[in-house]
Amino acid sequence: MKHARSLEILRFALLAVGLVLIGVPFLWILLTAFKRPVDAAASPPKFISPVTLMNFTTLHDNGFFQSLTNSAIITIATTVATLVFGVPAGYAFARGRFAGRRFLGAFLLFSRMVPPVIFIIPLFLYYYHLHLVGTYTGMTLAYMTGLLPFTVWMTAAYFQDVPVELEEAARVDGCSRVRAFWRVALPLASPGVVSVGLLVAIAAWSEYFIPLILGNESTTPATVGIVNLIGVDTINWGAMAAGALTLVVPVFIATLLAQRNLIRGLTAGAVKG
Amino acid sequence: MRLPASRDGLAPADSGGKSITRVIDRYFLAAVSWPSLLIMLLVTAVPFAVTIGLAFTNYNLVATAWKFVGVRNFSTLIHDPQTPTIIFNTVYLVVGTTVLDTLFGLGLAILLDTKVRGIGFIRSLYLLPIMTAPIVVALTWRAMFNNQAGWIDYFLSLAHLPQPVWLGTPSLAMPAVIISDMWTGIPFQALLLLVGLLNVPQELKQAAATDGANRLQVFWHITLPSMRPVLIVAVILRLIESYRKFEGIQILTTGGPGIASTTLNLQIYNTGLQYEQVGYAASMGVVLILMIAISVGLVYLIAGRGSGLGGRS
Repeated sequence: MKHARSLEILRFALLAVGLVLIGVPFLWILLTAFKRPVDAAASPPKFISPVTLMNFTTLHDNGFFQSLTNSAIITIATTVATLVFGVPAGYAFARGRFAGRRFLGAFLLFSRMVPPVIFIIPLFLYYYHLHLVGTYTGMTLAYMTGLLPFTVWMTAAYFQDVPVELEEAARVDGCSRVRAFWRVALPLASPGVVSVGLLVAIAAWSEYFIPLILGNESTTPATVGIVNLIGVDTINWGAMAAGALTLVVPVFIATLLAQRNLIRGLTAGAVKG
Repeated sequence: MRLPASRDGLAPADSGGKSITRVIDRYFLAAVSWPSLLIMLLVTAVPFAVTIGLAFTNYNLVATAWKFVGVRNFSTLIHDPQTPTIIFNTVYLVVGTTVLDTLFGLGLAILLDTKVRGIGFIRSLYLLPIMTAPIVVALTWRAMFNNQAGWIDYFLSLAHLPQPVWLGTPSLAMPAVIISDMWTGIPFQALLLLVGLLNVPQELKQAAATDGANRLQVFWHITLPSMRPVLIVAVILRLIESYRKFEGIQILTTGGPGIASTTLNLQIYNTGLQYEQVGYAASMGVVLILMIAISVGLVYLIAGRGSGLGGRS
């Protein structure tokens, strides 16, 4: 018994050490964001310094808040588009045989394996000819390369948890297939769909590679904006941390609000099925 | 990664409804999945095929004229003095991150596998690094590794340890990349493997314990074998993630010093989009795809060897 208790104490000691290691970079962001630039770059590092909003003024003067707005626009557009196309496809994939099902399945695996750098050059070439470079439409479509297969895959896992008998009952009562999906399956799978939507939104908010190549000055999101603003030779650590803070805080709030669903969402499609 | 089982879900309505409804019903599943499939074809499959094709051309972004050059890009790649280093770096990164993330992740998963009150909140705190934008992770670790104002060297100095110039030393650049990767990779693996741990049949563990097996033996003979499918998936997901790692290298070390931390993925970006040699970059892309396919195959081969599904030996 005593042995078991000391093991539990060890467990929490180790978990606490882990949380400190997780927390240190976040603490750096938080402290540095409110430091004067000279304190942010001090060597040895200054942990305590006068609190200032100077860094946020720098962000404002460099148009960073416009890029945050762009991030929000692209995130919303991507999430809506991905769910509208992906959720019904996920349902179909979970529910039955249809022309193209096998192909879809192979495709989902395939698109998970191939790195974005493989798609991006031809996409850039198309976009160049179709005048889609630097447009929200173009970026949203490109974001869907990874996120649409993810959504189909994940929502399929959730729809499989919805007992097919419920829909069969509705069908016997004369419900059309469309209604059975809309009125029975979708509401029952909605917690899963919401967490997939949240994961898609977070991924879109965090995307850097695609807009680096397909964005332009006026449409580029904050992930690219933050890199443009920090400078090349001497990095403005204070402004960088302030920008990082604006990127991290919304995700923090969303994560802590939806924690349980997110953990399930991250793992559902991968672990079962 | 098995696909959801094929199941011919709903029988067609047998009541003689309106024919239009019947037509809609009949094609409903195909109709709702084809738009998605079409988008994926346009933005994924076609570009993929184009990349394969470009690998055999001398296409570049500056000159408009191009022609097929056979396998010339590949022979250039083989003779390129940078190639061995870049392939080595890629393997170094992938093996390093996958092994370390998975081992420590398994450890963390075991720590998180408890029913004590408050563990849910602790789990969600471990979720935060996974949800943080990779660009923020890369920039923050660049600050942490900085040898002037960075915290890491400062803490090392407090402990009277050497304070290396992490990002400017060829032999330390890749370890720095791997350390920053572990910050998200360990929690990611842990949360995945935790699901596997929670799914291990309790009866099996108890039965083994009553037969006199100690904790370690139970873990080794019962828990680990029944986690095999989850472990395979976790390893494969991490492999793929490491092959495509971008911000964590481009921003943290810019692939340097020199090319000491440049991986194939970054080199494709540099060659195709910075130096605009699209054909040559595409041939590297083909190599990258082959490397990924071979690694995934190897994991299946090694981990799937001589086993059924669970540990019921």
